Amino acid sequence: MSEDLDEKGEDSGINWFLWGLTLLACLAMVYAIFIYVPTEKQEGLVQRIMYYHIPSAWLSFFAFFIVFASSILYLWKREREWDIYAQSSAEIGVVFCSLVLITGPIWAKPIWGTWWVWDARLTSTLVLWLIYVSYIMLRLQTGAGSMRARYSAVIGIAGFLNIPIIHFSVLWWRTFHPKPKMITPEGFGSGMDDSMVMTLMVSLGAFTLLYFLLMGQRIRIEKMKDEIDQIKKERLYSH
Amino acid sequence: MGQLGYLFAANAFVWAGILIYVISLMRRNEALRRDLELLKETLEKDSDK
Repeated sequence: MSEDLDEKGEDSGINWFLWGLTLLACLAMVYAIFIYVPTEKQEGLVQRIMYYHIPSAWLSFFAFFIVFASSILYLWKREREWDIYAQSSAEIGVVFCSLVLITGPIWAKPIWGTWWVWDARLTSTLVLWLIYVSYIMLRLQTGAGSMRARYSAVIGIAGFLNIPIIHFSVLWWRTFHPKPKMITPEGFGSGMDDSMVMTLMVSLGAFTLLYFLLMGQRIRIEKMKDEIDQIKKERLYSH
Repeated sequence: MGQLGYLFAANAFVWAGILIYVISLMRRNEALRRDLELLKETLEKDSDK
């Protein structure tokens, strides 16, 4: 019992540390976006949206990669743990992919003169969002069990195959969306000013910490649901 | 809408989105924790009888 309490105390300590670190990183990010980085000459103030837009895209891709990897591991090992990781990460991925699809048009309107164009990058990102929304809908509509986990693992894996298409779409096709400036053939961040690279790195770090924080909370929810189901089942069989 | 308006809108959407999601996770977490405690209490009472 005391070991259990110690473990809980330790978990809660790590949790508070992660909350604090994430909060500090988010404050540093806001400082960098609004005070540290100078205004870009061509696009002006609105270019600062990039420091939310790119980290949101990074986080959603990372989250969907975790869905992809966890889904493969679930199909291989058939352990509920991997299904929980995939489900939790998919939800976080959808939240941040939604933010990409919201901040993108807000940035596009003053620069392109339109909220949306059906070019390869924008359309493939919308398709990615729809795939993972359908993943969540499938999980909500079907009862818990190995069949639900298997079907959603297949969608989780198939959906991720869209990410290389999104990444290379600006290179393969002629698009409104600009080509990558962070990772270029000339080197990392060579297409940007140092202060812009630094601000982007701080934003990417803050959003990555946020992912681990949200993931911890989301996994705990699934584990508690499992525990409740288990107790209910045991009770049902004991009567 | 001026440039500042667009920047404000993007900023507001991002932080509101994150905040709403964090609150929803905390509420779900709290509701399940209460359910679990209640269930465990009921089980303990049943086993005492």
